[in-house]
Amino acid sequence: MTLKSSKLLAGKNAVVTGCLKGIGRATLDMFALNGANVWACCQYEDAEFVLHIQELECKYGTEIIPVYFDLCDSNSIKAAIKTISSAKKPVDILVNIAGMTQDALFHMVAMEQIKKVFEVNFFSQMLLTQYITKLMLRNKKGSVINIASITGMDGNPGQLSYSASKAAMITATKTLSAELAPKGIRVNAVAPGVIKTEMTEGLPSETLSRLVGKSCLKQIGLPKEVAGVITFLASDMAGYITGQVIRIDGGIG
Amino acid sequence: MTNLEKYNKAFIDAFTLEENKLAGLSYQSISTWDSVGHMSLMAILEESFDVMLETDDILDFSSYEKGKELLKKYDVEIQ
Repeated sequence: MTLKSSKLLAGKNAVVTGCLKGIGRATLDMFALNGANVWACCQYEDAEFVLHIQELECKYGTEIIPVYFDLCDSNSIKAAIKTISSAKKPVDILVNIAGMTQDALFHMVAMEQIKKVFEVNFFSQMLLTQYITKLMLRNKKGSVINIASITGMDGNPGQLSYSASKAAMITATKTLSAELAPKGIRVNAVAPGVIKTEMTEGLPSETLSRLVGKSCLKQIGLPKEVAGVITFLASDMAGYITGQVIRIDGGIG
Repeated sequence: MTNLEKYNKAFIDAFTLEENKLAGLSYQSISTWDSVGHMSLMAILEESFDVMLETDDILDFSSYEKGKELLKKYDVEIQ
């Protein structure tokens, strides 16, 4: 994939959650490469991440502002929103990437675990989306991209909490797209399959091989391959696309 | 522009109304103040007064008069 010269997001301002690693980090990198200014949201401050941001700013001439908050803490989310809104810049793009999983077979999963996964993967993202889309309403335009998962469409043994929370995200994407379209705001989701991140690095090699073997391409996906689709959906090139869930799974579905 | 002028302008812009129709105006009493119009009004008020309204207050914002009362919580006096 070559996007180096396209600058698909030149002059746009984006809020991206989960920027510390994995798909979030790859999205931050690709947004900067494509000329976007980014409020890079992370759960905690990290020296390596701060250095990385500085490198991106120097390399691409965009502005990257780190914003730290805990998705389990609504007051911390509100404080982050105040930071973002106080900048008095339009917010053009929101990418909800931060998420968690707690895998366990259904009869071995505590209700509190399910609630925690939903809190991080769904409720907090909805709260953030409420606030950010209110800022987008001022300008009557915007693009929201939610990170779902193919497990939210197909299900997966041992991942009830995660897959159900992602299914909620998919339905929210479709409903929000219909509600916000008259206000110029597009809402889409991507549904990654097996992607090389910390989440999959912890899997036993046999399990990983079995999952990868389900895909037509017979290879694991890379975070930058998800980031590429997110970048496209965020850009004006996707101006006629809303309410869609795009699978990025190497051909599993 | 005074706070009252800004407050009135938000309603006028959001609902395309004459200023003399504002007193006594309530949610869904006119066709333009539906749920979509309500969110437009909230967006204009947030920008005009540089506040971030809580969801509960957005839901409680049921009339022109009630809005003045709610904005006091955000240190915005409409007189």
